[in-house]
Amino acid sequence: MKAIVVGFGFIGKDFVRAVLEKSDLIRKIDRQFKVVGVSNSKGYLHKENGLDLDRLLGIKELLAYRKSYYAGESTVDLIEKSGADIMVEATPTRIEDGEPGLTFMKHALGRGVHVVTPNKGPLVVAFKELEELAEKNCCEFLYEGTVAGAIPLFSLIRECLQGDKVLKISGILNGTTNYILSKMYFEETSFELALKEAQEKGIAERDPSYDVDGIDAACKVVILANAVMRRDAKLKDVEKIGIRSITQDAVSLAKKSNFAVKLIGTVDRTLEVAPKLVPLNHPLCVHGTLNAVHIETDLAKEVTLVGCGAGKETVSAVLNDLLTVLRKRGKAA
Amino acid sequence: MRFDLTLALADRPGQLLRALEPIAKNGGNIVSIIHEREKPAEGYVPVSLVVDFPSKWNLKKTIMDMKGLGVSITKSEEIIETTRLTLILIGSMDLKRLVETRVEGVKVVGFEVSAPGSKDACVKIDLEAPTENVDKVLDELRAFSKDENALLISSI
Repeated sequence: MKAIVVGFGFIGKDFVRAVLEKSDLIRKIDRQFKVVGVSNSKGYLHKENGLDLDRLLGIKELLAYRKSYYAGESTVDLIEKSGADIMVEATPTRIEDGEPGLTFMKHALGRGVHVVTPNKGPLVVAFKELEELAEKNCCEFLYEGTVAGAIPLFSLIRECLQGDKVLKISGILNGTTNYILSKMYFEETSFELALKEAQEKGIAERDPSYDVDGIDAACKVVILANAVMRRDAKLKDVEKIGIRSITQDAVSLAKKSNFAVKLIGTVDRTLEVAPKLVPLNHPLCVHGTLNAVHIETDLAKEVTLVGCGAGKETVSAVLNDLLTVLRKRGKAA
Repeated sequence: MRFDLTLALADRPGQLLRALEPIAKNGGNIVSIIHEREKPAEGYVPVSLVVDFPSKWNLKKTIMDMKGLGVSITKSEEIIETTRLTLILIGSMDLKRLVETRVEGVKVVGFEVSAPGSKDACVKIDLEAPTENVDKVLDELRAFSKDENALLISSI
């Protein structure tokens, strides 16, 4: 299969690095696999017989790849010109309109190109449309990295809980808020101080509202509701309360009663993101930047997954999605 | 509906079987039974039962039938399943109004306030509520926190 990587920021680069490191494994599944194109907002690289990934990782700008670089050209052109079988879409997330990823995904799926992505934006805005497009054009659309980073949530439900009806999903879906609340719990600091430290460590953004106001977790709740519960939910359907009002007193009072305050996203009859009291012995009570997801089903009853929710580890989810497509479509071919 | 019954049976063979017949006849399902033969008092043996009946009427009919057989019933009480709730409220709020917020059958078993009167006042409440009323309790407290512009943190 021929792959293109759209977006060459941290995730795009980490993905290319992982492909290089795991090339033996990938070739066992698909001998012909190659990355034939990479794009960013300024242009794209395209090489019909495959890019030299070692060289690609060594350059600062795509431009430095010289001959194969097409300045000012758009990703849409790359999708068409490359004849790619699969697109790894890793452009920055914009939850307002899902762009630019949404346009690229629609274009790829519309042409029967499989899409693998950790980009939440397009899925929050137009999940149903993208799923229908994938179905109509008989291609795969996988998005494991969009929720809870490296935790194999969708794969587990798709492959291992095929006969189960998922009744409820709840979890810690944002590592930044979990880090802040854990600091407040263990070190008895104020919200402001914990946030400042998270910013200094690069865990929280300079404008932390996307995380601390529950927007990021709400996006994940929307994706879970649509992907697992087959709803047609939008961001506005999520009742959302962040953690700005959580005081040290509240955390201490909770602690005295054997609870920790955690920002919990819930997909139930209603969709909600809110601070909740989590019993210390509950499997969702994990600390630091960890994420945890608790799935309640009719047969398996309760399953809890814990793992890294963001950062470099997300590449594990993207790579697994790629391998899933290669195995599935390789066999079909 | 679940009921707690205590019978006082004469310490003679066959009394227990005879006493239990009306329960099955009236649609009751025995959940547990403790026959304390080693503790007879004035010739009577206490028997404690937990029984599920479809309604209070079935219990009433059972008691009448038991009495007709000469069985003495010393206790018959409905067992109300309760759930323990811990909640935290943050914000400037009218604590008197909070205390006066009542839902039938709910007991306040713990109450702790931190920084009362400040905009960041924090209240932890432990409640014991009939399980069937939990949603009602939470709705009442949600309405209170909304009115008072306070943040309600409930348990998962």
